[in-house]
Amino acid sequence: MKKQLMALTLAAAMAAGLMTAPAVKADDPIKLTVWGSENDQEYLAERIEAFKAAYPDQQFDIQIGVESESTAKDTVLTDIEAAADVFAFADDQLADLVDAGALLAINEEIEPALENYAGKKIEDIKAANVPVSIEDATIGDTLYAFPTSADNGYFLYYDPEVFTEEDVKTWDGLLAAAEEKGAGKKVGMTLASGWYNAGFFYGAGFTTSRNEDGTTNCDFNGTSADGISGVDVTKAMMKIAASPAFMAIADGDISNQIASGNLCAVVSGTWDSAAVAEAFGEDYVATVLPTYMAGDKEVQMGSVGGCKLMGVNAHCEFAGWGVLLAEFLTNEESQTIHFEQCKIGPSNLVAQNSEAVAADKAISAVLQQSQFAVIQKVGGKYWDPSATFGEKIAQGQIADDDASVQAALDEAVAGITAPIE
Amino acid sequence: MKQKTNIFSIAAVGIADVARDLGSFFRAFGTAFARGDWAVKLTLLWWGAGYARRKQYIKALLMTILEALVILFTVKISLKYVPKFTTLGTVQAEKVFNMQTMKNEWNDYDNSFLILLFSLFSFVVWIVGVVIALRSVIGAYKIQQDAEAGRHVNTFREDAHRYLEDKFYITMLTPPVIGIVVFTAIPILLLIFVAFTNYDQQHMPPNALFTWVGFKNFVSLFGGGGMTITFGYSFVRVLGWTLVWAFFATFTTYIGGILLSLLLNSKLTKWPKFWRLLFVITIAVPQFVSLLLVRNFFSNGGIVNAICANIGLTGFLRNIGLISTSYIPFLTAPGWAHVTIIIINIWIGLPYQMLIDTGILMNLPQDQLESATVDGANRYQVFRYITMPYLLFVTGPSLVTDFVRNINNFNVIYLLTSGVYTTTNQALANSQAKEVDLLVTWLFTLTQDYYNYKMAAAIGIIVFLICAAFTLVAFNFMISGNKESEYQ
Repeated sequence: MKKQLMALTLAAAMAAGLMTAPAVKADDPIKLTVWGSENDQEYLAERIEAFKAAYPDQQFDIQIGVESESTAKDTVLTDIEAAADVFAFADDQLADLVDAGALLAINEEIEPALENYAGKKIEDIKAANVPVSIEDATIGDTLYAFPTSADNGYFLYYDPEVFTEEDVKTWDGLLAAAEEKGAGKKVGMTLASGWYNAGFFYGAGFTTSRNEDGTTNCDFNGTSADGISGVDVTKAMMKIAASPAFMAIADGDISNQIASGNLCAVVSGTWDSAAVAEAFGEDYVATVLPTYMAGDKEVQMGSVGGCKLMGVNAHCEFAGWGVLLAEFLTNEESQTIHFEQCKIGPSNLVAQNSEAVAADKAISAVLQQSQFAVIQKVGGKYWDPSATFGEKIAQGQIADDDASVQAALDEAVAGITAPIE
Repeated sequence: MKQKTNIFSIAAVGIADVARDLGSFFRAFGTAFARGDWAVKLTLLWWGAGYARRKQYIKALLMTILEALVILFTVKISLKYVPKFTTLGTVQAEKVFNMQTMKNEWNDYDNSFLILLFSLFSFVVWIVGVVIALRSVIGAYKIQQDAEAGRHVNTFREDAHRYLEDKFYITMLTPPVIGIVVFTAIPILLLIFVAFTNYDQQHMPPNALFTWVGFKNFVSLFGGGGMTITFGYSFVRVLGWTLVWAFFATFTTYIGGILLSLLLNSKLTKWPKFWRLLFVITIAVPQFVSLLLVRNFFSNGGIVNAICANIGLTGFLRNIGLISTSYIPFLTAPGWAHVTIIIINIWIGLPYQMLIDTGILMNLPQDQLESATVDGANRYQVFRYITMPYLLFVTGPSLVTDFVRNINNFNVIYLLTSGVYTTTNQALANSQAKEVDLLVTWLFTLTQDYYNYKMAAAIGIIVFLICAAFTLVAFNFMISGNKESEYQ
């Protein structure tokens, strides 16, 4: 019987051991994790030291992790509670992150923290950055993240040996010159992506928007506010795609194609500037996108303007400090240093207006193009149907009569605006 | 043994076997509980009772600790989650910011996923617990019988020793079985349960709850979802290509491997080792590296296209109307991509098959070959009646596993088509599928890009059923009877 007693005591002791919660210490350091892209690691480390120095009274324990801005959403949504407290992400992920409740709203509730410690109101942050970047970080009326850069858009790169400035003003001129002087090299652009091909529609005054339930509104199959019909826009795209000097490039293949030396002009973004310099030579030119003819109207091609944002995890334990850190990492000084170190185009108005930024060809091109850029607000259902629509144009699968074009548009828009099951 | 040719009769026999085993287990328990003394009866509640009564204190202690752990788990974890299993939680997450502490304060919210996971885990623990309890009663009764009959009752040392002797298989099998339960069985069960919930982007824990929806996901998978939801449409097409792909991928590499190894094994081939090495190099390079490279070779602006354009092939194909583009869409148009993928897969998969077949060919029963030659069989006859049946017999099971593996061959399809292939079929695009998608790559897109876990789980179950049914049938036909004796 003694042994049984022992067993019971043992079990009880184990139970007691498991049930006792660890004592909470009052002066725990403020633990925060930050995720940024591989290239930003050094920059982040430096700025986090500066952040710590700005608040000498506080005890910080800040960890930095590597997570690319383009994949942040996937990793965060896998386990929101385990994800970083502050993380950088590309603007197209904002809606999904907000839907899943992963982002802390930067609203009146949290404003006192900013005001108390950083001496800034939300209005100050809104005023310090370019309006599009704020619009980009806003859903409804609520700001959900801090803009950290405003260079996430596309524009035209070309080889000045092939084209003159006059050539690249219109798609017709661009393609004609490439055919004539390009020696077999082509003008490349991604059509099979709703991010790129929507530029034609946005330029003609068409719009997309996202509903609260995650569905998308899209009017590409109608007539735009500028009085241009979607059919005309599509026909213009088909004409461009059918040109022998045009090459439709798959979304993931652009850098590859630039490097392969098959191109003399390409629609891409700042991330390809190094590859372009290699292929077109250091004297490459980056400029706004050309115009195209929709019916008998000349339309300036639009684009999607985008930002990289820095958000705070809704499940961040020290929410107040998370917001302060995210704000600090995106303020004027940080953005200036970020540009100097990593060539990231700032969204902060003061940082943007520096001479160094103006001297950077790619970044100044994206800023130039941003006057024709729109903020793309779409739901998850937008991407596949719009990519398919572009691919059909690229492969010449739509017959060149109004009825077929209209049918293709209707079909794509039906998919884009489909309800979420 | 009687040869069974019907899958249903196999299944029926299997189920009958299990039922009989279960029946005898419960009968043994019933007898033990009815005829056992007070200690045996008490064992049902306190697992150590029967052993303690017969002075097997160490065993009693171990059983008591085990029972305590099960109870502890139940109190600490199960009671928190299992009661919410029917609803998967009702309390939505809410938070308030506290300016004093600079922290967010959350309410005690429910996490549907954790409720599902820990409920499942609890069920497994409880089932195991009940089995242990019942077995303890049976064990205790056996010891009682031994003791009453005056037979020797094993000491702990003797009992423990048996696990290294006649019960050694239990010792060896325990770790892998635990591993399978924790890492395979529970996730599969979880997947099955998720297929009956609305776990997707709109219902993602921790900030939102998901709940049971019955068979709704299967209904929409099979086309019952209305006009805009094209899952049913896509499912049939994706399934079709999955089966076509699995068939061709398996048999092209299989037959190619046999032919190649025959060629290399032939006495007429010079430097067989050198040729073999060349093929093995394909294996030595990591598959994803070679696949991504090949994808670039065959891309619309890739080197293969440049060559084809230069030699005029592209123009020729355009003239006869096979293509409408200025490039050959090797990996970007249905039909073209299907064929290219299968051909690339031959190149990737053939060397493996060749190595396996070479090994088998080297071990061909020489006596049979010799007697065949003596009997005047020509080379074709030797191949037809000796080599091929032998190869088929030995590689039969691997042929089945190859087929199943190809159904789930994620690497080849995903690496060759992701990011370059865009469907031009709007109905497929509307449910995030492509013509070249296998069920498994479609499932990946749905979970990875669209967080549509419920549909992915439903597709996963279907894939599982297809693979299970195929394996059962194929193994039944291939390994039925006693062919083995033919080669002894």
